[in-house]
Amino acid sequence: MASSRRGVGLNAFSNAAISSDQYARHGAALRSTHADALANQLSVFQAALHNFSLTHAKDIRSNPTFRAEFARMCNAIGVDPLAGSNVKGAAGAGGKSVWAKMLGSSVNDFYFELAVRVVEVCRETRSENGGMIALSEVRKRIEKGRGLVGGGMEVTDDDIERALESLEPLGGMFKTTTLGSNKFIRSVPKELNPDQSTVLEVIQILGHVTVSMLQDNLGWEGARAIAVIDDLVADSLVWVDSQAEETEYWSPASMHEGG
Amino acid sequence: MATTSTTPTPLPLPSSSISTPAQSSTTQSSTFTFPTYTHFPPLYTVQPNLQTRARQLDLWSSLILSYTAHHHIFRLSLSTPPADLFTNPPRTRTLKPSDIRIVLDHMALQTPSRIEWLPPSTKGEKMGNTCWVYWKTLAEWADVLYGWVEETGQKGAVLTVYELREGDAVMGREWVGMDEGMLRKVLGVLVKRGKAQVFGQQEGEGVKFF
Repeated sequence: MASSRRGVGLNAFSNAAISSDQYARHGAALRSTHADALANQLSVFQAALHNFSLTHAKDIRSNPTFRAEFARMCNAIGVDPLAGSNVKGAAGAGGKSVWAKMLGSSVNDFYFELAVRVVEVCRETRSENGGMIALSEVRKRIEKGRGLVGGGMEVTDDDIERALESLEPLGGMFKTTTLGSNKFIRSVPKELNPDQSTVLEVIQILGHVTVSMLQDNLGWEGARAIAVIDDLVADSLVWVDSQAEETEYWSPASMHEGG
Repeated sequence: MATTSTTPTPLPLPSSSISTPAQSSTTQSSTFTFPTYTHFPPLYTVQPNLQTRARQLDLWSSLILSYTAHHHIFRLSLSTPPADLFTNPPRTRTLKPSDIRIVLDHMALQTPSRIEWLPPSTKGEKMGNTCWVYWKTLAEWADVLYGWVEETGQKGAVLTVYELREGDAVMGREWVGMDEGMLRKVLGVLVKRGKAQVFGQQEGEGVKFF
């Protein structure tokens, strides 16, 4: 090699320059073939994904497990199936809705449609639950449909969360929050303070609370417990049962579960 | 596909269409399944929050209508309400009579009216405590009655109110057991529509259908 043989005379300098130049050129060639290969692979992959989504569009729309797998696959390779229409696609080429074009618009449509249903359910039940509804309850209601022929949709909790994400450009009115072990959709843009969240969490676990339960378990002053509960009642987030020994406060989430 | 409905969900009314005598007799004997929300204790306490209360009253309204429709009850009395309607299954919560009145008042104000208070039976009282329950609205009853007249080819014939209520021809029909006053109201709807004419005195009153 040039460095080990170290030539003599002035020529050695130009030799070294030439060989390093050659190395650089070779390196560039290697890089570009590599890039070409990658680009080629990507386009093959895109085509495959396109074909896949076209041939399986029906499955993606109708089979929740299949859809979840598909969504997970897209996620793993850094592709958001929802991003297509409102954000520049991950692949970037062409600027707009690369993925919408690639996936056909069926996947997007599916989530938009679902989002509309979710909004409907949230609005319908708002007087009952003050705009706070369990994700699972929303799913049940959507699966049941509106009592019309073919109204029901088979969806998963995951689908609903994705659908909600697709509403983000509208101002994020619908947010999911976790209380205890359950996820809830908050469709009224009011923030809960920490005390309110705590009480709601307790209600999730026990089904209901009383002022003295809060005093005993959380060590709160009576006034604090009463204030928090009054707020929750005012926001129609809890229902009052005054026929128990001590007035109980229930979450409307348990209303349709029986028992 | 994506129709946003801002209107509240319609009350789930049982059998909106005309049910055959056979059907109505079987449903009458089977037990009424209470909706799951009757297990929810706060349902029996009138809610202080007005928004929540509105929802609660709607739930009660739909429960009362499906219950009375199932048992063919045309008249509810506050003094003797059906035992199982206003008390939850483990019998620990009961809607107080004064609260039942709130529910019924709400139903009276629904459009179309779902109940109608009857004037007090004793002179001294200000408020009646008995009401008719319209698990079918008067207009729906008018349709049922007129449907039967058409079906049996009695247009142009004169029938007495008694025949309409208790005659052999109406055996097993849905409106059997309806108060005479309520039936008169139904006939009133048909008269207004120009589909019937009522004539004669109280006794032996006759109705002619067109």
